[in-house]
Amino acid sequence: MDMVSMGLLAAMGALATVAGASEDIESDVGSQSNPNSQVQLAAQVGHTHRIYNKAISGEPPSNALYAAIAAVTASVLMSGYDMSAFFAIAIGALVATLFNGIYSVTAYLGRNTSQARFDQYVYLDILRTHTPTIMAHAYITAFCVVSISYIMTASWLPIQHPFPMPLVAFIWGLAIGAIGSSTGDVHYGAEREFQSYAFGAGLNAANSGDVVTKAEAGIRNSIDNAWFCAKFGGPATGMAFGLTVFLDNWRATIFDPATQGVLVILTGFVIVVLFNIYNRILETRARKRYGPYPEYAGDIKA
Amino acid sequence: MILDTNTILYIVEIVIGGLLVGVGVHFVPVGGAPAAMAQATGVGTGTVQLAAGSGLTGLLSAGLMMAVTDNILLIVLSGAVGAMIMIDATMIVGNWVYIYGVGVPPVSAKVDYDPITKEPQPPYISNGTVGHGIPTVSFVSGTIGGFLGGAGGSLIYYALMSINHDPGLSGMFAIGIFVVNAVLASYNIQGTIEGFHDPKFKRVPKAFQACLIASLVVGIIAVLITGGA
Repeated sequence: MDMVSMGLLAAMGALATVAGASEDIESDVGSQSNPNSQVQLAAQVGHTHRIYNKAISGEPPSNALYAAIAAVTASVLMSGYDMSAFFAIAIGALVATLFNGIYSVTAYLGRNTSQARFDQYVYLDILRTHTPTIMAHAYITAFCVVSISYIMTASWLPIQHPFPMPLVAFIWGLAIGAIGSSTGDVHYGAEREFQSYAFGAGLNAANSGDVVTKAEAGIRNSIDNAWFCAKFGGPATGMAFGLTVFLDNWRATIFDPATQGVLVILTGFVIVVLFNIYNRILETRARKRYGPYPEYAGDIKA
Repeated sequence: MILDTNTILYIVEIVIGGLLVGVGVHFVPVGGAPAAMAQATGVGTGTVQLAAGSGLTGLLSAGLMMAVTDNILLIVLSGAVGAMIMIDATMIVGNWVYIYGVGVPPVSAKVDYDPITKEPQPPYISNGTVGHGIPTVSFVSGTIGGFLGGAGGSLIYYALMSINHDPGLSGMFAIGIFVVNAVLASYNIQGTIEGFHDPKFKRVPKAFQACLIASLVVGIIAVLITGGA
């Protein structure tokens, strides 16, 4: 372990945390991924809305695509045109963002026009104001993911991962999408979309599609949703991706995989055991704090 | 085409890796879209998405390990541990969001008592849902799923690397074979599963057969294309 490796590891952790947060907020503004099912359903059950509706694909494939596009572009600029890494990654992320913008606009127009029969309109002001917001967050995500990949693969840096940079970026893009879809989206789907229902319960299946369409002032739009989710869901996603990138690489930094491979693996196992214990503590505390649901009428005692 | 002992061994390794992935996916607790609305127990995403996210993070760890050693055990275990760290971090933070962001305790709807903690489940299920969050049994199951998925992906990568010694090519093919098996298992699960305690888990033998055939076919093709035989 040397100071440079630890510094780079810290930078990777920080970049991953920022990337995770921006990825989640990007999907919240666009209403991508699983909570999109409720936005799609809303108009069909009589709740027309001004929520941005883009379901490009699941988050992992779309983010893997953006990260890979950015990394391929950056890679070509660095190897073919001797461009510095910073500018090459910045331009690569810009190219990925353009793809994101195209997919976002076509998804929004396609989704909303197909719901014309339910009186769901295409709002051009929403398209004009939300699309750049989505693209801006996609840019941050792509930039950070490719930067992490660059740190892991650059020949003059110590980590030296054998995979080419675009493949590393592809895998991290897939992972960040999976994490964003699994963590932060729950804050948007289970809480923000259904704030009219009491806090402390999952969505009753009978209330599906009854998303909140009114804001604190006026009609709610997706930037209002991003404002809310940026307080918890976004940073939590950042924490999850940051933990993944940091812990996975930390064990290979404090021990040398070439000579201390067993210790690298054992450290990983210890981390996993600690995670399992912590989850049990979380579960116990949550049950103690919230207690059983008063409306439960079954025979099994809490 | 000459199918020598080594080539057959590589194909067998790929098939075992594919089977590990296929079986491992059944351990991963995923609630799909309903879980994102705290309507179902498990992680709020799709089966393939989470399995691929964790398994391929493991592939990165395995790739790093294989750059410095040829020890198959270290490579496979390194991949397994990487995948477990990813899936555990995701499930922990997922539970933060369920508990602090949505205000629901983690609970299983498929069993009356958690098989590991023996705690009662039904009183903690909110009305109109089939559970929410990631209770202990699902968390442990997910960790096992990460282990199997990561180990499977790494074994496939090891076999391909032994043939062509090209990390990029082997990595891409390993991702492809991983996803084939994860998707097959996902069809078997049909959307949501809470973990090894879920009645759907009994369908594993069917996925085993399907993944065996698919991995064999894909394994032969992968070995031939990437330079074997």
